[in-house]
Amino acid sequence: MSSDQQPLLRVRDLVVEFNTEAGVARAIDGVSFDIYPNETVGLVGESGCGKTVTGLSILGLIPSPPGKIVQGSIEFMGRDLVSLPEEELRNIRGSEISMIFQEPMTALNPVFTIENQMTDVLTRHQGLTRRQAGKAAIEMLDKVGIPIPEQRIKEYPHQLSGGMRQRVMIAMALSCGPKLLVADEPTTALDVTTQAQVLEQISLLQDEFHMAVILVTHDLGVVAETCDRGIVMYCGNIIESADINSLFNHPRHPYTEGLLNSIPRLREKKVDQLPIIPGRVPDLFHLPEGCRYGDRCNRVTDQCRQTAPLLQSVTEHTAVSCFHPVTQTSG
Amino acid sequence: METLQYIIRKLITGIPLLLGVTFISFMLMVYFGPDKTYELLGKNATQEQIDEIRHQLGYDQPFFIRYADYLKELVTLDFGHSDSTGEPVSGLLGRTMPISLALIIPGFVLGNLIAIILALTAAYHRGSWVDRLIMGFSVVGMSISFLIVIIAFQILLSSSYGLNLFPVRGWNMSTFGNYLSYVTVPTLATVFVSLGYNTRFYRAVIVEEMTRDHVRTARAFGVPPARLFYKNILKNCMIPIITRVIFSIPLVVISGSLLIESYFGIPGVGKVTFDAITTGDQPVLKAVVGMTAVLFVMAQLVTDILYRAVDPRVTLK
Amino acid sequence: MSGQSTAAIRREGLWSKAVYKFSRDRAGLVSLAIVSIYTIVALGAWGGLWATEWADVTGGKWMPVSSEHWFGTNIIGQDIFQRALFSTRTTFEVGFVVALLATAVGALLGAVAGFFSGSWIDEIALWMMGVLDSIPFYLFVAAIAFALQDNPYAMHVAMIATFWTTVARLVRGEVIKLKSLEYVEAAHAIGVPEIVIIFRHILPNTFHILLVQGTITFVAAIKSEVILSFLGLGVKEGMSWGLMISESTMEVMAGFFNNFLAASAFLFVLVMAFNMFSDALQDALDPKKV
Repeated sequence: MSSDQQPLLRVRDLVVEFNTEAGVARAIDGVSFDIYPNETVGLVGESGCGKTVTGLSILGLIPSPPGKIVQGSIEFMGRDLVSLPEEELRNIRGSEISMIFQEPMTALNPVFTIENQMTDVLTRHQGLTRRQAGKAAIEMLDKVGIPIPEQRIKEYPHQLSGGMRQRVMIAMALSCGPKLLVADEPTTALDVTTQAQVLEQISLLQDEFHMAVILVTHDLGVVAETCDRGIVMYCGNIIESADINSLFNHPRHPYTEGLLNSIPRLREKKVDQLPIIPGRVPDLFHLPEGCRYGDRCNRVTDQCRQTAPLLQSVTEHTAVSCFHPVTQTSG
Repeated sequence: METLQYIIRKLITGIPLLLGVTFISFMLMVYFGPDKTYELLGKNATQEQIDEIRHQLGYDQPFFIRYADYLKELVTLDFGHSDSTGEPVSGLLGRTMPISLALIIPGFVLGNLIAIILALTAAYHRGSWVDRLIMGFSVVGMSISFLIVIIAFQILLSSSYGLNLFPVRGWNMSTFGNYLSYVTVPTLATVFVSLGYNTRFYRAVIVEEMTRDHVRTARAFGVPPARLFYKNILKNCMIPIITRVIFSIPLVVISGSLLIESYFGIPGVGKVTFDAITTGDQPVLKAVVGMTAVLFVMAQLVTDILYRAVDPRVTLK
Repeated sequence: MSGQSTAAIRREGLWSKAVYKFSRDRAGLVSLAIVSIYTIVALGAWGGLWATEWADVTGGKWMPVSSEHWFGTNIIGQDIFQRALFSTRTTFEVGFVVALLATAVGALLGAVAGFFSGSWIDEIALWMMGVLDSIPFYLFVAAIAFALQDNPYAMHVAMIATFWTTVARLVRGEVIKLKSLEYVEAAHAIGVPEIVIIFRHILPNTFHILLVQGTITFVAAIKSEVILSFLGLGVKEGMSWGLMISESTMEVMAGFFNNFLAASAFLFVLVMAFNMFSDALQDALDPKKV
């Protein structure tokens, strides 16, 4: 993530809307960020904040209808994915950019073998023959730590455990050597030990394949463990973006601070009750005029209620959208 | 071996169904059904003659003995002789069944195949005018009575008021050309009517499958839409499709051909059944009901085995 | 009891939303209007307001369309338009009776089977549905007609006995789903008798299914009536579109189509409108549908 490198992915002013019965919901409202080669970026927020939609828009996978990218650009290695014809986008999906999903139980097709699903990707993107693809798939499975891969590959998804299935997903996602991996809550559905193993596997392979990873998650612990940078989203906006140290040690946005305070910490002395953020997330049809976090914020002023703060760079890689950011010393 | 055990077990679990169907139909058609004594006797019969006929017909036996006799007939496939023609019932069905199958199969196959293609097309263009057009046609198809379609097709294709291309009614399978000329109009009518319901059902199944996570995964790995449909989605939809197709077979063989055969005067099982209904020919009716129930048990078995073939998660237990 | 009120709120939300959605569905509104017109025609024929001369010979054989005979006359000189109108009444009587009773029986047995799912009660209910689904429909009608000795309602009974199974399967499925919901469990926990749970708490929440299935059954019944009457297994007294088509087959061969066209058109428009109404209803009541 050094500044002399060109960003691999450059998202600018992305706006995604969903047509619903109750009206148009703006799930993402002007999101901009960069992803550099080889780095791991955590995209964090509560459910419904737009983090998953952001991940899906990168690959053009927003369910449409009802969803639609109405504005903005997603530039990946010089090409704008938003305006790219569907056919060219398909050649990028699974080869240059891969995605893995939350539910390993349902994300794989239940009626085809692992081999069938993996070789399908390899023959399509790499032009391999079925036989070559089969060999490559076994190698990939071996790399993600699946024992006896030549046997496992003949099996169907339901014959594997959740952790194994997620490893298969990872093997499939990495089989064509992508430059970018979008991992949407890859470990949420797994138990804690498996979670750690799967995350470690991703990190290991990331180094080997020299790829960038966007980790979409609601779990700050996962971000702290695996990411170089974190992007915090709230109500369709990015409210803070910073490297992992400053994000966790010196959060600038009151929301980030609130999130961090609500995680239990082992080393600190016992508290009676974990602090919580008061109030609830406003729904997308009744957004406040000013800062969307205003109603829940303890630092709110009239200025916040009248105008929405924009994301402002604080340092080269740190940005926050708040008129009254938490000062450095308070942490 | 395991499969064989499974088949046997499955056939045994089909017994309650067979018993239920035969019991209800026996009770309604035979026990409470028309008394045939006086039809078979001349006027002024003596009491002895009456008693003898009643004994022949089994009317003097208790209910359960008579029911058991029916079951025995079902097991031995010997249903006695038709009341109206005197022909052995098994021979009658054996003679007419091939005709019904030859009549129904083209329409049944085409009606499902075309419906699946239309459903895939509609689902693929979901929300567009193509989808709306196909679904609009299918509502129209659902709303036209089979009877009206048959008559209208006959007028349009087989009468001097229309194109006059095919014979008005009857049946002839002596040459393939003859077969085609007689089977075309009934087939077109069957296809027309079944398309409405089938397309709608298959589209719903396909659209439901389209929302599944694994479809999103396939898209995320760059599977082109056409391949997505005929490989990833279609195979996952096979269970409801198989169920619908197989379970409609027993009813199509009897009910589906009944109207068409009696209207076109085609001597198949449907016509035989219809004639048996109008004349109260109990041996024939018992045979038809019993055989349909057997077909249902078989259909259950066949679907279970086919499920196993299309979905690895299904185990034969 | 808070459980009851959440259930009630859920229900109310569904219905007010459905009315709103339906009121914006143009095809649904048009179809409802058509069905209403037919209903009025049927009620009028029933009340003797019109179509009173359906059985009378009021003209010559096969008279063409005229201001006196809107659709012409049939082979013996009866007015086809009046006969078609009068048949609407027959159709509605069959459709209404069958739809109402089949839905009621299906709801009741389906709810009981679902509530006691897994027990012998459920097993028996499922067995009964399987059995009735396996008897060929026309044979079943004939069998019931035999048993009821040509009672004019044999056809109705047969249809009800055949059509309730679909409703029952759907209701059973829904009840199994509802049964595990909190408010039902709460009612159970505080000792509300099972019968009360079924009727007060579970069945009302399946009403949207019943409404849609009722319209589907109505369509199935009137379509079956036409074919059965044509085959001579259905309506025997009075007039119905099926009987009209049946008498028209002779006329058609002679090149006179009015009788056939009139009955077909009346039937087609009603079934089409009912199908569209049923679709609109289904869309309006589907909470998942946007």
